[in-house]
Amino acid sequence: MEGELKKEIITGEKLAKEFKEHSVAEFFKKNRQMLGLYGKVRTLTTVVHEYITNSLDACEEARILPEIEVKIDELGPEYYQITVKDNGPGLTKETVGKALGKLLAGTKFHRLVQMRGQQGIGASGCTMLSQMTTGKAIKVISGTGKGKAFACEITIDPKRNEPKIENMRDLDRNFRGLMIQARFKGVLYRESVMGPLEYIRRTAIANPHAKITFRSPKGEKIVFNRTSTYIPKPPKAMKPHPAGITVDDVVTMAHHTKAKKVSSFLKNDFERIGDTALEKIQKLVSFDLNKDPKKLTWGEAEQIVSAFRKIKFLAPSADGLRPIGEERIRKSLESIVQPEYVVTLTRPPKVYAGGYPFQVEIGIAYGGKAGISTNGNNRTQSEEQGVKVEIMRFANRAPLLFDAGNCAITKAVHSIDWKRYGVRDLENTPLTIFVNFISVHVPYTGAGKQAIADEDEVMEELRLALMVCARKTARYISAKRAEIERRMKRDMFYKYIPEIAEALSKITKKDKEKIAKKLEWLVLTKLKLEKKEEKSSKELKVEGKDSKKVAKGEEKIAEKSR
Amino acid sequence: MAKKKSFVKKSERKISKALSKSVAKKEKEGPKEIAARIKEVARGIVKDIESGRNPRFKTKQRGRGNVLFDEKLGIIKLGDKDTTRTFLNIAHARKFLQTMLVMSKTYEYLTNNKTASIREVYYELKHTIGNTKENTFEDQRESDACIVDLEHSIDTIREKLNVHANPKGTLYGDITLVDRQHHNDTFNCLKLGRGGWSIMSRIEPHEIEIKKVNAKYVLVIETSAMYERLVEEDFARKNKAILVGTGGQAARGTRRLIHRLHFEHKLPVYVFTDGDPYGWYIYSVIKQGSMALAAHSRLLACPEAKYIGMTLEDVEDYGLQNVTEKMKPGDIKRAKELLAYEWFKNKPWQKELKKALQLKIRIEQQALANKSLEFVAKEYLPKKIKNREFLP
Repeated sequence: MEGELKKEIITGEKLAKEFKEHSVAEFFKKNRQMLGLYGKVRTLTTVVHEYITNSLDACEEARILPEIEVKIDELGPEYYQITVKDNGPGLTKETVGKALGKLLAGTKFHRLVQMRGQQGIGASGCTMLSQMTTGKAIKVISGTGKGKAFACEITIDPKRNEPKIENMRDLDRNFRGLMIQARFKGVLYRESVMGPLEYIRRTAIANPHAKITFRSPKGEKIVFNRTSTYIPKPPKAMKPHPAGITVDDVVTMAHHTKAKKVSSFLKNDFERIGDTALEKIQKLVSFDLNKDPKKLTWGEAEQIVSAFRKIKFLAPSADGLRPIGEERIRKSLESIVQPEYVVTLTRPPKVYAGGYPFQVEIGIAYGGKAGISTNGNNRTQSEEQGVKVEIMRFANRAPLLFDAGNCAITKAVHSIDWKRYGVRDLENTPLTIFVNFISVHVPYTGAGKQAIADEDEVMEELRLALMVCARKTARYISAKRAEIERRMKRDMFYKYIPEIAEALSKITKKDKEKIAKKLEWLVLTKLKLEKKEEKSSKELKVEGKDSKKVAKGEEKIAEKSR
Repeated sequence: MAKKKSFVKKSERKISKALSKSVAKKEKEGPKEIAARIKEVARGIVKDIESGRNPRFKTKQRGRGNVLFDEKLGIIKLGDKDTTRTFLNIAHARKFLQTMLVMSKTYEYLTNNKTASIREVYYELKHTIGNTKENTFEDQRESDACIVDLEHSIDTIREKLNVHANPKGTLYGDITLVDRQHHNDTFNCLKLGRGGWSIMSRIEPHEIEIKKVNAKYVLVIETSAMYERLVEEDFARKNKAILVGTGGQAARGTRRLIHRLHFEHKLPVYVFTDGDPYGWYIYSVIKQGSMALAAHSRLLACPEAKYIGMTLEDVEDYGLQNVTEKMKPGDIKRAKELLAYEWFKNKPWQKELKKALQLKIRIEQQALANKSLEFVAKEYLPKKIKNREFLP
């Protein structure tokens, strides 16, 4: 017996050791899907995403207006080099290794903070991917603006998950920011809706304070200028709200807390738990809350969670939410999408699943260059053919390019009866629908983190916000359509005028030009009259129907959150 | 000129005074008067435009709702309902333009002494509008409709607009005509060989003058085969008749000529068609006018015309039972319609139509050949005319 046991322990240790040695590389290979690294185009987009979000987050924290340059070069078939340069705070020689050469070293995990980079592999993941596909190190130049900048090359030691820094040298110039250059094989650059360019375009829209320059493999230079100089406040870390917590969360948190008693642990580490709530909890659990949290058992944690469910807590504070703002979305859409008409809306924060605050922002852009052109980019103003609707989804300002069909945003957009809003055929209308979902805890549907789950409150809020914007857009669309119709009518009358004038002039010997001029005047007079009639009758209709619906929606939501 | 003979009843020569009077007035209108009227309409439209009003073109409403039968005059007439076409109306604008084009074109014909067929009018006016891809007219039906509108608007017939449809019909008999538009050619229609004279589309007095007529009546024949038979039998000479072959439904020119022979020369008109709904309707159009040209009956109809045959009585009288044909469903339907027309609402015709519907048979003119080829010329027609065996 003893021998057998001993043998088993040895085997176990050996296994553990082997696992550790291969862990990082294996983890990568086995979890490529989860990490968003499947598909040649998607992988490249994910890499761009990692670098850009890092830059944006760093600049935000350092209160710097970001200027980011992204360059993609094609080195061979399915072989690309990405260069990303920012003007952020930069990394020091001490921090550069941990930031770019150690997996899962980021501080975002296990923190309830609204961050862009909640999905993906992190910049270190990119280092790993580069190394795995090309065997090459990533090249880094960094400077803090104080003293000399430095350059180095970084790889990851897959056995120890530790950075390997080589070729470290000081540069003879003052530079603030970070430049990373990395090479990847087995990836593909495409200018599709899932490609890097579209990702950058959308990032620029949702981050109007950033200036982003992109150089494509074809050598094109595309600049997305900033339309705002307001740097968003860094999001505040949020304590978890009792309503959304699981037993496992409670156990893990209890074992890591600095509190000496379960009671103080609950009070300090959770939001909205005060003395009154503590008293109620004490009545609902079978053990003493003065207990050492480190000794909290699973069963006891279960009791706490079931007590949480029975007690009404105040809704969580929405302090951690950082919306872009209506005006800034408007300017951004005007500058980058270049539509004829934009309406934007930032809704007040709401709560889903009892404990998670969230907020919805909508922008609807119509006409002009809004929508996706299906036949190149050359289209005229009034032309509605060859244009498809474009739905831009964002979670905390980060574009969601994949898995659109499963996303609550897409579902909400399609659940609306657009015909009521003057959009006869949503799919083929020059519309860009911008939706930013903001939450410290985005309810993603899967590990790919590209689709938002259709929680009831989320759907209801999305629909309501979309309807409010659609109503305003409808007014513009119908006015525009009426204008187009008037113009078409005018042209139809006008084309007959010269011939009519000539015919009448031949018989009566009156001046042809005079007759024609007078006829044109008659046409204009008539159409102006029609314009007035249309406007008043249509507006009344839309107004009457919709305000009722919106009011209803508000009531429904109010009821739910009560 | 016609002379009294026992078998032509005096009353038949008496033409309704009321109709005669209004016909005479209409007949006087020459190209100048018509052109002046077009100008008047155009001036009205220009005046509308100059004073900031939606220009309008007024014409008569056609269609069944505005067609009525004038029992006193014995013709189909158009009521007084008007219809207006305005330019500032999406649905009318194109039609308005087309009407103006047709107006201007016919005005040009009238002032330049030109004439044209309706197809020529169509081709003369068809072109692309400005820098569009739209044609002024896509189909001759469009220009035809405008011509009809104009006829009705200025209360005249297209022949007086110097426009005409395709000619059809032949004339044979002792009648002398002068073509005043063509070298004043003078010819007697008995001397043109067996073919006779092809009746032109426009038989207006200023174009074709009826110089001399030596006949007792006009015999209108539906089928060309029967017309040829009667020419061959020298029916016109032997009976002092003028033969008019319509070749089916009578064309406007043919109707106009019959009308003029009747009104200007007081000749009775006898119509000889197949004994079937189609033939009966041909007769009724010659007599009372048609619904499509209700407005023009005054210049086209002969209310005193009489129907010779074929009748169902003929079938019995001459034992033609075995050469009748069965009525087709279309014939039956048409016969029922005729039964309901006001101008067929007299005893003899109601009796005839009901009998036909009951027996479901029809009888062709050529069926008379069953007796012998000469039978129609030697016996049938002379006997019927002599005994006044007519349907009204």
